[in-house]
Amino acid sequence: MSVIELDDVVKRYESGAQTVTALKGVDFHADRGEMVTIIGPSGSGKSTMLNMIGLLDTPTEGTVHLDGRNVTEFTEDELTEERRTTLGFVFQDFHLLPMLSAVENVELPSVWDTSVDRHDRAIDLLKRVGLGDRLDHTPDELSGGQQQRVAIARSLINGPDILLMDEPTGNLDQDTGRTILEEVTRLKDEENIAVVAVTHDDQMLDYTDRTVRIVDGVIQS
Amino acid sequence: MSVADALWRFPSAMMAWRNLGRNRMRTALAALGIVIGVVAISSLGMAGVALQQQATSNLGSLTNQVSVSAGQDSDYDGVTEEQVEEIRSIITDAEVVPQKSNSTTVSSRGKEAYVSVTGVTNAAALYDVSSGEAPERLQTGALISNSTAQDLGLELGDPVEYDGHLYRITGLIDSSSGFGPGGGRGELVIPISGLADQKYYDSVTIIAADGDAASVIANTLDEHFNTDGRDEEEVLRVSSYASVQENIGSFLNTLQLALLGIGGISLVVASVAILNVMLMSTVERRQEIGVLRAVGFQKFDVLKIMLSEAVLLGVIGGVAGVVFSLVAGMVINHFIVGDAFLVFRPSNFLYIGLAFGFGVGTSLLSGLYPAWKAANERPVEALRS
Repeated sequence: MSVIELDDVVKRYESGAQTVTALKGVDFHADRGEMVTIIGPSGSGKSTMLNMIGLLDTPTEGTVHLDGRNVTEFTEDELTEERRTTLGFVFQDFHLLPMLSAVENVELPSVWDTSVDRHDRAIDLLKRVGLGDRLDHTPDELSGGQQQRVAIARSLINGPDILLMDEPTGNLDQDTGRTILEEVTRLKDEENIAVVAVTHDDQMLDYTDRTVRIVDGVIQS
Repeated sequence: MSVADALWRFPSAMMAWRNLGRNRMRTALAALGIVIGVVAISSLGMAGVALQQQATSNLGSLTNQVSVSAGQDSDYDGVTEEQVEEIRSIITDAEVVPQKSNSTTVSSRGKEAYVSVTGVTNAAALYDVSSGEAPERLQTGALISNSTAQDLGLELGDPVEYDGHLYRITGLIDSSSGFGPGGGRGELVIPISGLADQKYYDSVTIIAADGDAASVIANTLDEHFNTDGRDEEEVLRVSSYASVQENIGSFLNTLQLALLGIGGISLVVASVAILNVMLMSTVERRQEIGVLRAVGFQKFDVLKIMLSEAVLLGVIGGVAGVVFSLVAGMVINHFIVGDAFLVFRPSNFLYIGLAFGFGVGTSLLSGLYPAWKAANERPVEALRS
């Protein structure tokens, strides 16, 4: 069974007097252990689609199923809780908090959860992305690639089912991007999670299991 | 477990602390506003307390007296011996001093002065003398106002005559002492036996411990003598200067409120500064807050972090403000009361506590809107910016 499923999803934005339809009936699914890449020109609806999958936005029509549960009717608080427990996010700009150390940034999504020993898990995750010697460095003491690895460790702290990546290599040079993608692929297999990425980066296609092309809010293939 | 680990038990406090540390200059300036507000409120409050204490001690000798005379419904032309005994039996914890009075012209060496004459036994309780002495049991001598004595060229030991009797002057009354009975006129104080032909006492002065006790005594006597069943009648006229003290006290309270109000204005200004800082900080950290929401922070969690920042600012400013207030209070007490360490009296801590509370409260209030704004930002839009 797919861990995330979009059924005939339509998203319309009211912008002044105009109505913009960003998604025009999109079907999509991703399975555990699979890396799916969404590609398409600017303004095609890639980011809107990723927001739907990431439960950051709700569809105007259609349904979103997460692990078989219809989350379309969830309240905002319930969606936030799902994001925390089921989803991991990696952004183009890393978005680490500058006043926190690497290990604190990794712990961040789990700070409200006292039931797990998040500190040990955070250290373990940082070691797994090769930053065992950078635990107490703040983001401005880390290179772009290191920051993105911290971000990846952060996205995995709560043991998500799906990892969402928005242009994860967009701010990295080719070599660093390649290492990051290798890292993600390895973690995807180790943790048996689905990875959904939006990208412009052609080298990402070497690591992906499946590519979805979207143009003008419609899936092409 | 390290300090940082312990702090992580309170994530919002921890994040707030780190956030304030990011822009230290801005944090310090915002806290400075609170410091000034707290110092203003508490030092103005303490100045009020010091003024009040000073005024009370200046008025003290007057306001603790209750004076009793015959009322309009009395059957007698004065206060009777029985009534004095009755007063003595009711009022056991204050000095009861009955007096008879008259007026006369005192002459000496060809000069004359018109004086009021008071017959009293316990002269010590009523009069302060600048030289000589005021005995507790005045049996033979006399006291005379310093000014009258000078006018007439009288000195200690000289005789004065009243009603055919000669009295030797044993003390000179300090004329500047209060503005009580006698007014500006000169006074001659003689033993009560000198006015034996007057059957009743003209007045009874009761000297209480302080103004409040005087009020209580006045009320007790008024109720005892002037309430007969349901009818109100004035057998004895009871008056105390406590009302004077009350008036002055209420004036000082008004002054105090006005001073606190001025101090409060500076806190309002400080709160605007905090509001501004917090709003700027939410705008600058829009994306960060978006990330927090994306990774599963609830609105309420974001609200907690932002409010913790505001409260923390208030606490930092408040603590520094309290320290500076104590210093300011020592200076104030040194100059008004003359004892810097009187700053540590309990009523001052009331004002310091009040100022601290207001400082933290104001910060919390000005943090509310920015915090609410940050918490209600949609994560999608916050991340996009």
